[in-house]
Amino acid sequence: MSVAELKERHADATATVNSLRERLKQRRQLLLDTDVAGYAKSQGTSAISFSPTDLVCCRILQGHTGKVYSLDWAPERNWIVSASQDGRLIVWNALTSQKTHAIKLQCPWVMTCAFAPNGQSVACGGLDSACSIFNLNSRVERDNISVSRVLTGHKGYVYSCQYVPDHESRLITSSSDQTCVLWDVTTGQRISVFGGEFPSGHTADVLSVSINSSNSNMFVSGSCDATARLWDTRIASRAVRTYHGHQGDVNTVKFFPDGQRFGTGSDDSTCRLYDMRTGHQLQVYRQQHDGDDNVVPTVTSIAFSLSGRLLFAGYSSGDCYVWDTLVGEAVLNLGTLQNSHESRISCLGLSSDGSALCTGSWDKNLKIWAFGGHRKVI
Amino acid sequence: MAANGEGEGPEARPPPPSMPQPTRTGDFLGKHRLSAAIARLNQEIQFLEKELNELETMETSAEACKEVFLSTEGRSDALLPVTPGPENPTWHRWFQRVRSSHSRRWWTSKGSSDIS
Repeated sequence: MSVAELKERHADATATVNSLRERLKQRRQLLLDTDVAGYAKSQGTSAISFSPTDLVCCRILQGHTGKVYSLDWAPERNWIVSASQDGRLIVWNALTSQKTHAIKLQCPWVMTCAFAPNGQSVACGGLDSACSIFNLNSRVERDNISVSRVLTGHKGYVYSCQYVPDHESRLITSSSDQTCVLWDVTTGQRISVFGGEFPSGHTADVLSVSINSSNSNMFVSGSCDATARLWDTRIASRAVRTYHGHQGDVNTVKFFPDGQRFGTGSDDSTCRLYDMRTGHQLQVYRQQHDGDDNVVPTVTSIAFSLSGRLLFAGYSSGDCYVWDTLVGEAVLNLGTLQNSHESRISCLGLSSDGSALCTGSWDKNLKIWAFGGHRKVI
Repeated sequence: MAANGEGEGPEARPPPPSMPQPTRTGDFLGKHRLSAAIARLNQEIQFLEKELNELETMETSAEACKEVFLSTEGRSDALLPVTPGPENPTWHRWFQRVRSSHSRRWWTSKGSSDIS
């Protein structure tokens, strides 16, 4: 077959793919007979009502000398690891605000960090295209903890990393090389590569991953190709499902507490809730933003409260909206409260008992937010 | 393209000297890449058709919305003003006095947003 004939076949196949995608999109739209807010309204649900001093900033973690890019809580502890433009990881005791470890990185351009399930190690990755592991109990040489393992193999920047829950030695990274990788931290080897040359992998940088804590074989990824994809770690050859809807980069993904849904946040300024099994987009969280219409704030990071009733979303504007996930309304903006951040919120995360939210910002600080009002227990 | 009025047919016309002739290797690589891309697209077509078939019998979003609604009920949540129990006493630790050995700061009591 000649090149010309092959090119024609390629064009035909591309047109067929595009046509099928359009039909899928339309068929899906017909199946969306309600969203979560519509259903909640039919049940007479009213929005959560916060009084002005309910959620308060109760700690400010100061010490980074550059923008904070990423943070992660240790499971079952009050410890947080943060990564910054200053080229350092800092491990904090969030309760006392003390810094327990400060790690100067060989490659200062770090984008992401994560705590190991046992709280003994931290991982980070960034523009060096590698993921570095540090054992927090290891000997300190020349005032610095040395790296215990470097996971190399990505052909692009490492944008996010997360340890597999209850697996000290398994970690998943996502990269600008359009793949996610599952690593064995003990050996430094890649166990599986998700995407890349295979069909149904992401077609642009992969910015975020979230592993399902109810079923750690499943994880979801978010990408600059405006989709989120669900993966089964046992089947690397193809994404289980692709979730469409966003009109811009999907910067952040996070599983819903029931493990059957997940949330996303995007450059299109919206957060969305998807049903993992059916692929349905169940809710869009879209806020009218004040200010210049030409500058639409992007969603940088999200986290669900323990029950899933609240969705915390950090924005490039410095806002941090608290969404009532059922009613579909923003019920609070931490960005307007006393002691709020002065710049973009780049990352946020909930403590494992759900009692505190930590936000990280380009203002170089991390802040801890907790419920300080009168709580009614029913 | 101007017609050649001199009598020779188009078959006899040589290619313009400025057009590079494709090498055998370049041609092979081009065909190889195209074939691989077509194979990937065909596989994608299969999966998209499978997904379309799936949608024929898939339930609407209402069931999943109901599941979301029900899943948030009955779960205690430290950040909600009204929550089912049990209330964990450690939720209050953020507002209890904690002495940091490196400073003389004491965190203020619950209900105040001041940080001194």
